[in-house]
Amino acid sequence: MTTPGTGPDGPAGGAAESLASRQAELVAALVADGPPPAGFAPGPLAAARAALLRKRAGEVARHWPLLAAGLGPAWPAAFVEWAAGRPTGGGLRDGWDLARALHARTALPALGAEELAAREAEFRYDGHRAPRRRRSPALGRVGGAIAVQIAGRVRLLRPARP
Amino acid sequence: MNTPHGVGIGWRPEISGFVAELPGLRFVEVIAESVPTTGPPPDDLVELRNRGVTVVPHGVRLSLGGAEPVDPARVAHLAAVAQLVAAPLVSEHIAFVRAGGLEAGHLLPLPRTREAVAAICANIVRAQADLPVPIALEPIAALFDWPDDELDEAAFLTEILDRTSALLLLDIANVYANARNRGTDPLALLDRLPLERVAYLHVAGGAERGGFYHDTHTDPIGREVLELLTELCARHRPPAALLERDGHYPPAAELRTELDAVAVACGFPAVT
Repeated sequence: MTTPGTGPDGPAGGAAESLASRQAELVAALVADGPPPAGFAPGPLAAARAALLRKRAGEVARHWPLLAAGLGPAWPAAFVEWAAGRPTGGGLRDGWDLARALHARTALPALGAEELAAREAEFRYDGHRAPRRRRSPALGRVGGAIAVQIAGRVRLLRPARP
Repeated sequence: MNTPHGVGIGWRPEISGFVAELPGLRFVEVIAESVPTTGPPPDDLVELRNRGVTVVPHGVRLSLGGAEPVDPARVAHLAAVAQLVAAPLVSEHIAFVRAGGLEAGHLLPLPRTREAVAAICANIVRAQADLPVPIALEPIAALFDWPDDELDEAAFLTEILDRTSALLLLDIANVYANARNRGTDPLALLDRLPLERVAYLHVAGGAERGGFYHDTHTDPIGREVLELLTELCARHRPPAALLERDGHYPPAAELRTELDAVAVACGFPAVT
């Protein structure tokens, strides 16, 4: 990712860089695998990057408690591996994207599959924009787990295959 | 209107039952972005308000320190929450949380430059114009500093407070974390801050990891932080101190012990 040159002096202006472009460069380096901004000590920046990922993992776990519980001790590492260099779309979407990615490579634990099935039944999510609540009844099927949503209420009809 | 006084606790849904049963509690904070303004506030908060407990909305996503103008919709939400809970003041951070279209996901430090002072003061003044109550500003814990720094932390913070007449929300754990990670003396910073402008304090736990002290809010309060809190209150005791806990919630007895430790360090009555 390159630095957006939002300042009057542009990003290549060295000392004359604007606050806006310096901030954009820093955030990109911290969350989107952007190049390290000039002059920052690499050790503290790496610590900050790791701390942001841990904080994000905690937020995703609050939105997706069963997914996190299903992964158990592997949760922090699984999340960080997936999330590093991938900017956040918020806890709900991050967890959703991760659950789908794990499902695609058959690495989604049963609890996570049940949670994902319930979410798929409750919301319509295209992977790009914020999930929207479904207005009509729907089924969610993930890895053997089946959830049904009627009038906004979601029930698990069949648990996932362990 | 009751400004914060005594020992408070950060209200979170996970510990709302515990908070509701604290007999002496007069003051809580609620994360402003977590409160919907389209309906009534959460029942537990309404009950606390009915008991006369002061509720302070604490914003975490305004990004006052961003180079771009603060989002009026976010300020409007903070203002609406303040009105919903009849807050005497609101609080936010001296930090930015997004830039170039990307969310950082947490509070990031500003460069301590005159340009950044001007940018954040402009945003604070914009926010103040739309807020029904005063704002208190919290200096954050930062794991890194900018190479661009022109001012030291005391000069940077004092300049911002002076130019905006904002109150100070001093997080003693952040003071400890920054001093420890920078190898500086936390008392030297306290001696140069306008302690008479502190609306209330934050206190929280942290942990050492990979050679850095992290202000986690998920660990117990360390002895050094409590000692610094005692030192601060011996210099000039602010009217209130609030315990922040944001996860890995311990059993109720442990949380009560932490609240009591904060009360003892400050010389406030116990709320447990």
